Amino acid sequence: MAVDLQMPILIVDDYKTMLRIIRNLLKQLGFDNVDEATDGQAALARLKAKPYGLVISDWNMEPMTGYELLKQVRADEALKKTPFIMITAESKTENVIAAKQAGVNNYIVKPFNAETLKTKMRAVLGDF
Amino acid sequence: MLGENLSAQIGSLVDHLRKRDGSPSLVEVASVTEVLIATMQAYFRSLDTSIYREFRELSDYIAKAKGEIASLRPGDLQRDRLPRAGRELEAIVRSTEEATNKIMAAAEAIMAADATAGDFSALVSDRCMEIFEACSFQDITGQRISKVVETLTYIEERVGRLKDALGAELADTPAEDRRTGDAALLNGPALEGEGIAQDEVDKLLGDTMPQKPEPAPAPALAPPPTPAAALAPGGKASQADIDALFD
Repeated sequence: MAVDLQMPILIVDDYKTMLRIIRNLLKQLGFDNVDEATDGQAALARLKAKPYGLVISDWNMEPMTGYELLKQVRADEALKKTPFIMITAESKTENVIAAKQAGVNNYIVKPFNAETLKTKMRAVLGDF
Repeated sequence: MLGENLSAQIGSLVDHLRKRDGSPSLVEVASVTEVLIATMQAYFRSLDTSIYREFRELSDYIAKAKGEIASLRPGDLQRDRLPRAGRELEAIVRSTEEATNKIMAAAEAIMAADATAGDFSALVSDRCMEIFEACSFQDITGQRISKVVETLTYIEERVGRLKDALGAELADTPAEDRRTGDAALLNGPALEGEGIAQDEVDKLLGDTMPQKPEPAPAPALAPPPTPAAALAPGGKASQADIDALFD
């Protein structure tokens, strides 16, 4: 089944610049329906208010980290199947293992390029 | 040592007096007392010297440490240098953010422009000039970073001298990471050679997730190439996979 390019995507990062970069990259990939949040708490509120086809989140944010957001999403019956990609500068093995155990669908290390984002999104969502 | 000699000498004097018939004469008591006083004086002289020498060494040590701490100029550091370094770093964050936003705004304007419009060329030229101007932040940022590095070097040198002055008394043990739970996972960006590359992340995730082979990373943005041995089994991009990405 083809990926719906109009599906809502939630991007979460405390740096507005990074939100802007990801939004532009998604636009280049054909995804225009993008919402933003600047930490896990704000993201969780958005996720509970509206269904999203994908969450792309940073790890290191306050007051709620992306890792905590991931755990809360996976613990919530209504949200637990939402695809979740982590994009972060946290590049230690223990971080990747912890994210994997928490149920992340893919993990991208910053700095990243458009091709990496595209490949990982395809791995999670299927071809588009 | 001297203490043992003292008790031996006093003991022999007491024995000598005990063995005598009748009461000792005044002359004998006086001479015994003289021996006793001389012995005690020798003992206390040696005692005074060793204690004095130890106090003297302690005093020198404290004076030296005091001098080294004074040379750190903690007041100057606290009042001027560290706040200044903090302000420089804040300015760096601000200027890089401003520059990034200017560059992105210019790039977005180019992307959104109508390429068939008559003024397209002029618009691209103007926006490119804005990008060049925004990139000038790097010069100022470099100067600010130099100032911060100067302060860090100043602290490093003086702390090194203090450590040398205090010698072995300063335990050279690494600081303990007291963070626990999720907080222990927050380490921030890794320096070159630290952390793991995207290929290794893919390898860790590869057991349970469908992973398409990664293309060779673009030189400007991607992490440095990893030796083939470190790649996940099946995670190495073949030429066909790379070609497919350029179709």
